[in-house]
Amino acid sequence: MIEDEAALCETMVAYLEEEGYRCEQAGTVELGSEKVNLYEYDCMLVDIGLPDGSGLSLIKELKKCHPETGIIIISAKNSLDDKISGLDLGADDYLTKPFHLPELNSRIKSLLRRRKFEGKQELVIEEISIQPENRQVFVGGEQLPLTRKEFDLLMFFVSNRGRVLTKESIAEHLWGDFADSADSFDFVYSHIKNLRRKLLERTKTDYFQNVYGTGYTFIA
Amino acid sequence: MKLQTKINIRFLAVTFLVFSVAGMLFYFALDKLVNQNISEMLESRKAYIILNLQQNIPTSESIESPDHSIFIRRTEKTEQYTVFSDTMAYDQEEKELIPFRKMTFSVLSGDQHYEVILLQSLLESEDLQMIIFSFMAALFGIVLLALFFLNRWLSNKSWNPFFRSLSVLNNWKIGESQAVGFDRTGISEFDQLNSTLENMMQKIQADFVNLKEFTENASHEIQTPLAIIKSKLEMVLQDKTLNDQQYQRIRTAFESANRLSKLNDALLLLSKIENRQFVDSLEIDVCQLIRSRLEYLEELFAMKQIEVTVHLDNQVTFTLNPLLADILINNLLSNALRHNKAKGKIIVSSENQEITISNTSEQTEMDVSRMFRRFAKQATSSESNGLGLAIAHEICNNYNLELIYRYLSGMHRMTIRQKSQISTNL
Repeated sequence: MIEDEAALCETMVAYLEEEGYRCEQAGTVELGSEKVNLYEYDCMLVDIGLPDGSGLSLIKELKKCHPETGIIIISAKNSLDDKISGLDLGADDYLTKPFHLPELNSRIKSLLRRRKFEGKQELVIEEISIQPENRQVFVGGEQLPLTRKEFDLLMFFVSNRGRVLTKESIAEHLWGDFADSADSFDFVYSHIKNLRRKLLERTKTDYFQNVYGTGYTFIA
Repeated sequence: MKLQTKINIRFLAVTFLVFSVAGMLFYFALDKLVNQNISEMLESRKAYIILNLQQNIPTSESIESPDHSIFIRRTEKTEQYTVFSDTMAYDQEEKELIPFRKMTFSVLSGDQHYEVILLQSLLESEDLQMIIFSFMAALFGIVLLALFFLNRWLSNKSWNPFFRSLSVLNNWKIGESQAVGFDRTGISEFDQLNSTLENMMQKIQADFVNLKEFTENASHEIQTPLAIIKSKLEMVLQDKTLNDQQYQRIRTAFESANRLSKLNDALLLLSKIENRQFVDSLEIDVCQLIRSRLEYLEELFAMKQIEVTVHLDNQVTFTLNPLLADILINNLLSNALRHNKAKGKIIVSSENQEITISNTSEQTEMDVSRMFRRFAKQATSSESNGLGLAIAHEICNNYNLELIYRYLSGMHRMTIRQKSQISTNL
């Protein structure tokens, strides 16, 4: 994690370590470059605006020595140029500050799934099994038909199991920049209601828990 | 009005005034001179006739000269007199009534009184008037023509550097950092103007770069603390030991941080548009864009049970930045959705290079003068930040498009169209 803002870095590390990841941090390009050259990581989170240079140079460096490492750019500059040049250099994803921690978590999980298992990993939660690469969900061996948005929603919840997901972070996950463009919270509610009902009908278990006025938790 | 036209009109007015006054004075002066001449002529003829009559006493009652200009007759009046008067008489040569100066006086010849009437034609004087008038008119015409050509030649020649500077200014685009150069004109006023312009443009360019850097830095500086606040609050929300009231309080803080970050995004976007930082423009098929956006929002329409009618058969293309085109269409569509009522309607149509998005609403007609202003939001909708329409309006402004609001038969209509050429002409 190459990020110069200590407070932000600390929060991200705390969240990710609870997920079971081991995180190492660097606050400058120099330190980052040292670590990138010394060790092999599964994933690198890199800020573009660092005190001693641009994070883009680290991406170049990393691509040379460890091309299989996943790269997620975290930037405060919501500029298209940075995004395009970052992705051109070989970054896998791009997150704009301020982002939601569950979103970061879900992006890392999805990136690791693609990188490590070529997306072929099956996620199993009790009797539910999810095949991310062909976007299918099975309950007790039988396919559960879900809409595109419902599937995205389920993946988001499964990636952040046991976490409180705020309505805002859910809306942003589903609609990105356009989350605030409409009455998206009502919409989040209706999608969750449908997903909840579909899962409840098949599994007889209510996986979703309302967190008063704030959001939802997926318990399993 | 062109400067040249304006100068020409002034020239015309002044020349006309000068010529009419001069013509009038000229006429009166000449008229007086001619009158004096005629009177003197009559006086000298009178002296001659008196001399003649005193030497040769007329034999008949009355005598008339063959050209009718002298008429002598015997009279009973004994007093001496000389009277001038104007009269009309029939002229044999001209075959019409013409004005004459008439001199009547009495003469004593022998012991008999005679009255003599002398007539002098004033036709010359009338002719004079005509000649002066036509002369003045011809002169006026010639002077005008000369002035016109002189003026055109002069202004073409002397305003040439000005028009060159103007074209440099017209081609100048802030944000495109090409150096601006004015040629030396050799005319001190224009050189002064050009150097002032050059300094000004350099200053503007520098300010623009500064402002651009400032907005970017401000964005960075504000987003990072916001990211920290949001992530910390999100961490706190994960705490299972919180009670409902604590949740509620953190939730409110979290919501506010979210709103602040959205607001910051929107304001930054607005200032970026105003600073014309979106340079690349493409021909955008707006109908295609709207269709894909509608597909994206389909579920939202369905939830509010809003009936969407699409008439996008006529292709409409606008030239603008693709990202801004996306934002423009999205803002207008979400506006139509947000302010709609349950089971309402949205109609999207295209014709004559115009796109119209109409929607039903609980609200009636809006105040056009306020609706495109920043933060001019309706009190009822807390989700909107009041910048959506301001952003849409600003995008249109920057790409020579017009965003027009109308309220017709219960529907709010937003129309985007190319600005008419007349209003954009310099």
